[in-house]
Amino acid sequence: MDPSVLVNERVDVYVVYRKTGGTNQIAFPQKMKYGNKVITFTELGMRHPTEQGKRMIHVFDMSDGSNDYRLEFDAERLVWMLRTIIYGR
Amino acid sequence: MAADFGFNKENPQIMWIDLNSAFAMAEQQARPSLRGKPLGVTNRISRECCVIAASYEAKSLGIKTGCRRSDAVALYPKFILLETDPPKYHNVYKKLMRIMKDYSINIEMKSIDEGIIDFHNTEKMHQGRSLKEIGHEIKQRVKEDIGSYTTINVGIGANRFLAKTAAGLNKPDGLDVIDTTNIIDVYKKLELQDLTGIADGFGSRLRAQRIDTPIKFLEATEQTLNKQIFKSVNGSYWHKRLRGYEVDNRETNLGMVGRQWVIGNPNADDSYLRSCLHFLSETTGIKLRSRSVRARGVCVWLGYQDGTGWKERKMYKTSVHSNQDIWLRASRLFEQRPKGAITTMGMYLYKLSSSNHSQLSLFDDQEKAENLTTAMDEINELYGSFTIHSVDTLEGKKHVKQKIPFGGTEYFNLLLKTA
Repeated sequence: MDPSVLVNERVDVYVVYRKTGGTNQIAFPQKMKYGNKVITFTELGMRHPTEQGKRMIHVFDMSDGSNDYRLEFDAERLVWMLRTIIYGR
Repeated sequence: MAADFGFNKENPQIMWIDLNSAFAMAEQQARPSLRGKPLGVTNRISRECCVIAASYEAKSLGIKTGCRRSDAVALYPKFILLETDPPKYHNVYKKLMRIMKDYSINIEMKSIDEGIIDFHNTEKMHQGRSLKEIGHEIKQRVKEDIGSYTTINVGIGANRFLAKTAAGLNKPDGLDVIDTTNIIDVYKKLELQDLTGIADGFGSRLRAQRIDTPIKFLEATEQTLNKQIFKSVNGSYWHKRLRGYEVDNRETNLGMVGRQWVIGNPNADDSYLRSCLHFLSETTGIKLRSRSVRARGVCVWLGYQDGTGWKERKMYKTSVHSNQDIWLRASRLFEQRPKGAITTMGMYLYKLSSSNHSQLSLFDDQEKAENLTTAMDEINELYGSFTIHSVDTLEGKKHVKQKIPFGGTEYFNLLLKTA
């Protein structure tokens, strides 16, 4: 029923920080290296913060035009995790 | 024609904002591959769970709020059901509130997906711009700050009732004004029970007096409404409400706070059930203290697999505030339960009073317990919920997750307070 596929792996992410735009557009993860592939994101669906104790985690729901990726940035440990993928449109 | 009914002729100053299918749309906003698909969200996916919010695509197939998972799948086998993601909705709620606050200091969230902006005394700030123009601007800001897929309905009226009615006229993504020029036409197009606040109970009472349309409701005299239909001052309220006069801006008193839980395994043993109830007691305690109130009444209720229910409540002379006291009283009530397989459990605290006016205790112990509770609340606020909790709730904490409640805004306001 829930089409999300669990991944939970650390990934390399290239992020662009824009000087203008709405609060949903300032930080934009542009590319991600996952396995042997480089995925280029075309849309940021939503960014929202969530807390795990003192740690602030920023959740980025990204799309490459066909799949959706839930990325999490741990603002304390400075690591990116790919949590889930929804395949296909 | 309009003047015959004594409508409020004031320029409409109330704007009602309604996020369309809020939770479902937040999921579609976040995950583009889900857009255009029938989906719903539920608090916890289980065999008999129900949809707490459905996307417009699901609604068009007949899958609505409250629909069971099995019924939804029968209607549409590829139905997507997701578990709620509270931080995501909290973010949407916070951003919507922030946008609304830019337009007036008088805003009020009526539920987790709708709120009111009162534009009285903001004329200078808005420099003669019409509310319709401002409504379009708010729609655009929602797209920029929350996301391009997110839409809202905007309703403008002379009072809360008419503004909410206007917001419901053209869903999704509508913007409508109800004023003296179109109010009769709007009422003519609506059914009696389309009116907010008129459900089966009041609907039956009105129909019993041959009032079966909004227009007939409008034509009824205040005396008829008071003496024959509502048999209370509610009749006068409705007489004013239908004419655009404000009667709904009163603050309601908080009557109770509580939590409930659907148990996955009805044959769970006693220690598991006690741990879950203890966990519910602690989270109810957090809610109680976040509202700065104390409670004298404690109620525990259970639903059994055979469809029967059980409830036990008790009013105490002294009020409760700390987790320890709440659990102590709740557990005593729980011990009185009849035997049987339990499917749902809940508890609530009632007879609330402000905790700022509590009488000082003569006994040290109570003060110590309250200080301990305050210290625990502060630690949990700083390091995250349930960093410190009773060891007895360990099992319950594993299973009972924080879920999105229906209706009120308390949960999100609690998050905002701690954010």
